[in-house]
Amino acid sequence: MNAMRWRALLWLALAVVIAIGGTVQFSGQIPLQTNLLALLPPTERNPLAEQAVGKLADAAGNRIVFLIGHPSSGTAGNAARRFASLLREADAFRQVVAEIPPFDQKQLTGLYRNFRFNLLSESDRVEFSAGPGRIEERLQRKLFTPIRLGLTLPLAEDPLGLSDAWLAELPLKSLKLDAENGLLVTRDRGKLWAFVSADLPGSAYDSDIQRRITAAVAEAVRMLLKEYPETEVLRVGSVFYAGAARASAEKEVDLIGTGSLIGMLLLLYLVFRSLRPLALGVLSVGFGIAAAVVVTVWVYGELHLIALVFGASLIGEAIDYAIQYFAAQLGAGAAWEPMAGLRRIAPGLIVALTTSMLGYGALMLAPFPALSQIALFALVGLGAAWLTVFLLLPWLLKQPSRRDPEAAVAIPQRFLVWWQANASQRICLVITAILLCCAMPGWIQLTGNDDVRLLVSRPPALLAQEEKIRELTGFGNSSQFFLVEGATPDVVLANEERLAASLALLSARGDISGFQSVSVFVPSEARQRQNRALWSDRVFADEAGLRKMFAQAGLRDEIADRLIGEFKASSASVLRLEDWLQSPVSLPFRYLWLGRVDTGFASVVLPQGIRDVTHFETIASGVPGITFVDKAGSVSHLFRAYRQWGALWLIAAVALVYGVLCLRYGLRQALVVLMPTALAMVLSLGIFGYLAIPLTLFNLMGLMLVLGVGVNYSIFLCEGGVRAAATLAGVLLSAGTTLLSFGLLAFSSMPALAGFGLTLLLGIGIAVMLAPMVLVFSERESA
Amino acid sequence: MCTMSACRNLLLSVMLCFIASSTAMASDTLARIASQIEKYSVVHADFVQTKHMAALKRPLVTTGRLTFSRSHGVLWQIEQPYRMSYVLGEERIVEIGSDGVRRERGLREVPGLAQVGRVFRALLGANTSALQEYFDLAIKGDASKWELELKPRQAQIAQFLTVMRLDGARFVEGITISEPGGDSIQIRLRNAQGASVPSEAELQLFGSDAAVSAKP
Repeated sequence: MNAMRWRALLWLALAVVIAIGGTVQFSGQIPLQTNLLALLPPTERNPLAEQAVGKLADAAGNRIVFLIGHPSSGTAGNAARRFASLLREADAFRQVVAEIPPFDQKQLTGLYRNFRFNLLSESDRVEFSAGPGRIEERLQRKLFTPIRLGLTLPLAEDPLGLSDAWLAELPLKSLKLDAENGLLVTRDRGKLWAFVSADLPGSAYDSDIQRRITAAVAEAVRMLLKEYPETEVLRVGSVFYAGAARASAEKEVDLIGTGSLIGMLLLLYLVFRSLRPLALGVLSVGFGIAAAVVVTVWVYGELHLIALVFGASLIGEAIDYAIQYFAAQLGAGAAWEPMAGLRRIAPGLIVALTTSMLGYGALMLAPFPALSQIALFALVGLGAAWLTVFLLLPWLLKQPSRRDPEAAVAIPQRFLVWWQANASQRICLVITAILLCCAMPGWIQLTGNDDVRLLVSRPPALLAQEEKIRELTGFGNSSQFFLVEGATPDVVLANEERLAASLALLSARGDISGFQSVSVFVPSEARQRQNRALWSDRVFADEAGLRKMFAQAGLRDEIADRLIGEFKASSASVLRLEDWLQSPVSLPFRYLWLGRVDTGFASVVLPQGIRDVTHFETIASGVPGITFVDKAGSVSHLFRAYRQWGALWLIAAVALVYGVLCLRYGLRQALVVLMPTALAMVLSLGIFGYLAIPLTLFNLMGLMLVLGVGVNYSIFLCEGGVRAAATLAGVLLSAGTTLLSFGLLAFSSMPALAGFGLTLLLGIGIAVMLAPMVLVFSERESA
Repeated sequence: MCTMSACRNLLLSVMLCFIASSTAMASDTLARIASQIEKYSVVHADFVQTKHMAALKRPLVTTGRLTFSRSHGVLWQIEQPYRMSYVLGEERIVEIGSDGVRRERGLREVPGLAQVGRVFRALLGANTSALQEYFDLAIKGDASKWELELKPRQAQIAQFLTVMRLDGARFVEGITISEPGGDSIQIRLRNAQGASVPSEAELQLFGSDAAVSAKP
């Protein structure tokens, strides 16, 4: 057995391990993660805030909301009921709700009646704190009003309307939906929209659930439209976005994978005119990608679709090692000896792998799951493809190439010779100056974009439905909230009340339209005692006066007696959080209460109708127990920090690369080698400016790779010279496949990946075009 | 959701002027009553309201003036025994104390109050199908002397009122509302007169609501 055989066997063993690993982990279906949150780094200093973000996102994410619209209001209701039953028949949901039980005001008044002497509306509390308050006028208002506004207690129980005022302040109706005929409905331009909600049996990011739900909904809509032709169905739910993201990612993987594979095979065939390099190239790339998937899933337990789409574009890079080997075979001609050939290109391949490893390794250190997963995927994929070249290819590529190296690169070589003959150093400098002048105005127009939505592709059709549902129902769109903590539930409520005082100011300024909090429904014990003291001072201090006033107004005598008696009897009663939590009244608001946490207890205060968040941070800062959480905002901050930091890092990297080049080529020639890539980078930036494409973190990542890959072409040209046709074939093939893969990535529906791909397409494209400049300035060539 | 007491009262205020404008109603009588009133965009009347409530020793009687304007809403001005006004607009309800202080509430903020606006607009737009979503209508008599009975169709509304009765001739003259608890409200209207625009003073009371509800 010779060394080649042993190496091949070693590779086979590795392949078997990967195959077994893959089979054990997943059968057929790759466990794809489609949840955006899973991609994002923990941004909150308060770990509880991350938990709260997750909890709220889950609560909202595992529910689908439908609006069933029809011009005839009766038909809309029937259609909504029919739609709900169709969904129920599909048996894909945990629960489908269309009919809501009639709001029983007795539940609400029943809960609060016994504690009414502990409760006062905000304005009454302020008025009673300042002075006696016009008690008699309140009685008259209660008596004479032609309209009872909202929830009310009977005249006998609340003659002054103070409890009515408190009930009226409850933010019961935050949505623009009304209960009618047992449905929740809203009206818009002659159409009635009925509300149907459906709860998923599991996570919206579970692929099985996505498939079942999407199919069930599509079928239900189809049946509904058959029975009620004019009906319109709007939907919103994470499951649709996640499902669409998965579908488009899978489509993109197919497109990018197939596209770069076919293009790569075509290029390989054009150059080598033999099927063997094709097969071996696919083998090395295939092994690389397979190993990458298996190892990434092994480490992370799943593969995020952003990593998968990126992975598909890795084909163009992973093929490079095999290409170098084929190029060596091409160059050696009849004298080909597989192991000698490998030894000759080994230093170059090792350097190439090392630089890639370093580049992606740095990416892995970023505290950002999306980036580190991409990095791990790339490291393993490139490493495995590289190993295939070292272990397996020598054994499979024993025959010398029959192709004439000169013929293989005849056309590009002629182009290079022409470059060398016609382009003087002066012309090159003029071209450089012109390009710089053209690019500069573009730089000025560069803007940044750090939106978290760069990471998601949101189909416009779904987005439009979501917008419409928001408009019709008034659903909030907020990932911004206050986290309130405290040692006991009552401390949490007291902290909420301090926050509420600040939020009331913002509300008055119009920054927000209101807010939802637990303490609005259950005041803290201290606040309840304060309210009771005000009742005592302003209402019950003068019992005789109260009796007289009631008598004059025509109220029966026993009413004053009963009221006074009830007030005295209730001196020890306090409305507890548990009372509220156990009442069906709290059902729509229970998610605000997070319950027991590591630090004690916690709740969420949700601002509504947010127009200006500038003061949120100020409100929260310095108040113990209150944290402002803005997940989207913090991620954007992080993106911006990375982008700004990345720009500096890029400059440093350019300097570093220049330093390394100087070691090999000296000060002047190193500058010449770096120049095409540096120009490519600044021109790309200029083009982004002209096209008004905002610069993102992912463009900078792309530029980093442009630097790493682009310089290689200059180096190879410089090293091999124009006459080393086989080297040139390798360089051009590498560039071609890389451009193809990343070029296809530019068409991704995920803005982050598209930006990344576009940057590489532009940068590497320009770097390759300008690379022949090296030959013009090259001392070795001119010598 | 829970404010059919509000709905009831607003409804009557509106109906007493405009039930008859529901021309599309099947009943010929209703159509004729409608044509009697429809020519006026504003109706004025004096009211006497009698509340029979268990908590009161004797019925509570209030008197005042009512103005209904197609484009502004309802103005309910109590004169005796206590001066107080209410503006019931499409988007909000305003309470004006004897001191002139306005207390406003948006209909959207209060559960169920938007339904009031809904019924309000249904009446205004002569949208009988919408009206009949909430009530079963029964009519007796003819255009010169008629009685209308409205029974809530929905359990939701039935929590707050059992039946409403309207009677009238050229205009609505009487309204009775019965609540499940036994309390009831009677309203008699006299001296009803049509007009084309509200007076200056009334416009002022309609105030900011004028702009908001000036929709056709």
